[in-house]
Amino acid sequence: MGDTVTETDAATGFFEQLARRGHEPLLAKARGTVAVELTNGAEGERWLVTIKRGAVNVVRSTGDADCTLRAARDLFERIAAGEVNAVAAFLRGEVAVAGDWNLLVLFQRLFPSPPRPGAAEPDTAAGGPSR
Amino acid sequence: MSGGTLVKILDGNTFVVSDASGDIDASPTDATGLFAFDTRYLSKWLLTIDGQRLNAFSTDDLSYFEARFFLVPGTGTVYVDSKLSVIRRRAVGDGFHEELTLLNHDEEPVELTVRFDAASDFADLFEVKDALAKKGTYSAVVDDGELLLGYERGTFTRATRISSSVAADVDEGGLTFELRLEPHGEWTTSLDVVTAMLVGAGAAQTRTRYAREGARGRSSMETDLERWLGTAPRIECSWDPLDETYRQSLVDLAALRFSPPIAGGKALPAAGLPWFMTMFGRDSIFTSLQALPFKPELAATTIHTLGSWQGSRVDDFRDEDPGRILHELRYGELTAFEERPHSPYFGSVDATPLYVVLLDEYERWTGDTKLVRDFEQEARAALTWIDRYADLLGNGYVSYRRRNEESGLENQCWKDSWDSISYRDGRLPGFPRATCELQGYAYDAKIRGARLARLVWKDPDFADALEQEAADLKKRFNRDFWVEDGEYFALALDTDGNQVDALSSNIGHLLWSGIVDAPKAKSVARHLMGPRLFSGWGVRTLAEGEGRYNPIGYHVGTVWPFDCSIIAWGLRRYGFKDEAATIAAGILDAADFFDGRLPEAFGGYERSVTRYPVEYPTACSPQAWSTGAPLLLLRTMLGLEPIGDHLVVDPALPAGIRHLELLDIPGRWGRIDAFGRERVEVEPRAALRRQLGSPGTRRRPGRRR
Repeated sequence: MGDTVTETDAATGFFEQLARRGHEPLLAKARGTVAVELTNGAEGERWLVTIKRGAVNVVRSTGDADCTLRAARDLFERIAAGEVNAVAAFLRGEVAVAGDWNLLVLFQRLFPSPPRPGAAEPDTAAGGPSR
Repeated sequence: MSGGTLVKILDGNTFVVSDASGDIDASPTDATGLFAFDTRYLSKWLLTIDGQRLNAFSTDDLSYFEARFFLVPGTGTVYVDSKLSVIRRRAVGDGFHEELTLLNHDEEPVELTVRFDAASDFADLFEVKDALAKKGTYSAVVDDGELLLGYERGTFTRATRISSSVAADVDEGGLTFELRLEPHGEWTTSLDVVTAMLVGAGAAQTRTRYAREGARGRSSMETDLERWLGTAPRIECSWDPLDETYRQSLVDLAALRFSPPIAGGKALPAAGLPWFMTMFGRDSIFTSLQALPFKPELAATTIHTLGSWQGSRVDDFRDEDPGRILHELRYGELTAFEERPHSPYFGSVDATPLYVVLLDEYERWTGDTKLVRDFEQEARAALTWIDRYADLLGNGYVSYRRRNEESGLENQCWKDSWDSISYRDGRLPGFPRATCELQGYAYDAKIRGARLARLVWKDPDFADALEQEAADLKKRFNRDFWVEDGEYFALALDTDGNQVDALSSNIGHLLWSGIVDAPKAKSVARHLMGPRLFSGWGVRTLAEGEGRYNPIGYHVGTVWPFDCSIIAWGLRRYGFKDEAATIAAGILDAADFFDGRLPEAFGGYERSVTRYPVEYPTACSPQAWSTGAPLLLLRTMLGLEPIGDHLVVDPALPAGIRHLELLDIPGRWGRIDAFGRERVEVEPRAALRRQLGSPGTRRRPGRRR
């Protein structure tokens, strides 16, 4: 709550990383533009993620989109860090969505795994006999 | 006043359960009310006239989405020749639409006070099941002649709006109409109860955020149902109950269709009424498989929707892994606040290999290679999941152990109750558990994945690798799971690799998957049709004589029609035609006792003892994969198998069905007809029997042509 926005916050980092990747295999089937609107008091920012069969382009823009995801900035930072589950937040009414649901469902695949205490590599640690 | 009879109408995941007079007066733990998206939006809806409840004179289920209640005033014990008739006609849509009509049969005018008491507890479906207390706050507001019922817990809000076509005196507890009926006069009003899931917070949006306004038009739903029935294959049969069962299955399947927002208006099967009107990986896949020869479009939507929701993270709370297919998706309050993990929950271990099985079987029927191309990535991720995330012991077998210890599922196979997996002596094994049918599904997924890789994805190296893995799995499985002294496959392997050696219906699924070495199949079939497993109606989930056997135990002795239909399919796969027909006969006979609507499960009692199938007490009905069972049994009786661009028909009908025709079967061949005649002459009978497989007339299993 009330965090100051820094250059390396999780939300900006999420989009910058997405832009750097250029291609995202999890979105190979997706086509369209997702707008992510982040609100912070009276201020707001709007990211447009355009996906063409996995090729991803990210800009800060007010342009048109096929679907929109809107959330408070500090909440989105926690989503982008894997600390908050986007679907549950949507069901709670903390995240608003509109437009092409199919694109939104594919887009939410990009949010990272939740932090796992004691697990160094959250993305590779599968269920195993050690747990 | 309910008299015990509940009237249920539904559309997708919205449903209304009332008593026989149309009233709702829910206690915290019963499942009456108006439900949508896993939330109860109306827990009280009571009609009184001059302060008196009404008696149900008769009730008509007009269709799955519409009911009509004829009511009369009265004391409840003595029927008085009433001068007043009351008709409620209710159709479910986004909420429900109700038309109330009053008829005065008297020569005198009459003045009446008509009252609807309305209230909602906004219970999460899980709370109704488990009787939990609420944490939020309620509101009831009269707004512009309408009653708004609300519930708030932080930003989580749900609301119900109640309005009428005739102006009412609205208060916070309901609507009142003061009216005068002329001699032989008629008075009518309609009422709309609309549910709202307010997303994005903010009371200002209350009025604009309602789901589509008003109930979906009745006429469009009727047209839709007619089209649904009209485009299904037609049946011609010498045994009338099968006609009825087939029609009931189609109607119930229509009712169980569910269009999640991402499916673009297309539908997939939800799992069951009332608890399971949502997307389930396993149930949606099995039902789509059962319905393939009849409604292949269900499979397409299932593949699309489950594929889009495929797991992408490692999330212990949700038992999610990359590539895993979801188990269950819920929208209610407990899910929203992560008191339950269903957003979605991934704790099933069979849905992922079965996803690949469905994709392949769908292509074999429809020739729709485009969908197979579109979902190549998801299918590959599912195949990768099997080896990378499901082999918990590193021994080459699929096993499961929940990571969510609090609210996750212990048993992540279809027999998901706590005591379903046991040794002969009744002990329960530790975790992880590798149940046998999971190995069969994994084997089948690899074989079918290889076919798709070669045919559609043009990746022969991947196909070769999958086939090699499958062959290796089959070899090991037939060695490690085979119970030598019983000549059947163990229910599971425990963590030490020892056999969990109970005899169960799971061995029938192994035949379906093709993992059984041919020389062992005869013994498996003998067990399935033997007295310990076969009740005369179907195959018991657990064999009589096992430590935990209980004929009314959920997964430890009851007979599940869905299970039996898969077993019949497996028996056909290995050439046991008569055995498959015997199972079909038993299940179809049972269906006739339930007016064509098979319950989720019925008791494992010996048929000759009870003479009728004893319904499992708290089971869902209609339930999707029970609804699908007669459809799959039609396929196994006719021996329908797509080979290349042709549909092979190889009928083996139960004694008593002299001929069976299925006309206009859709598929890659366009539309085609299939015919079957009784293969073996049976002794002439004095009269048409109603039952196919009663003990006196059932052909002995094992006698094959």
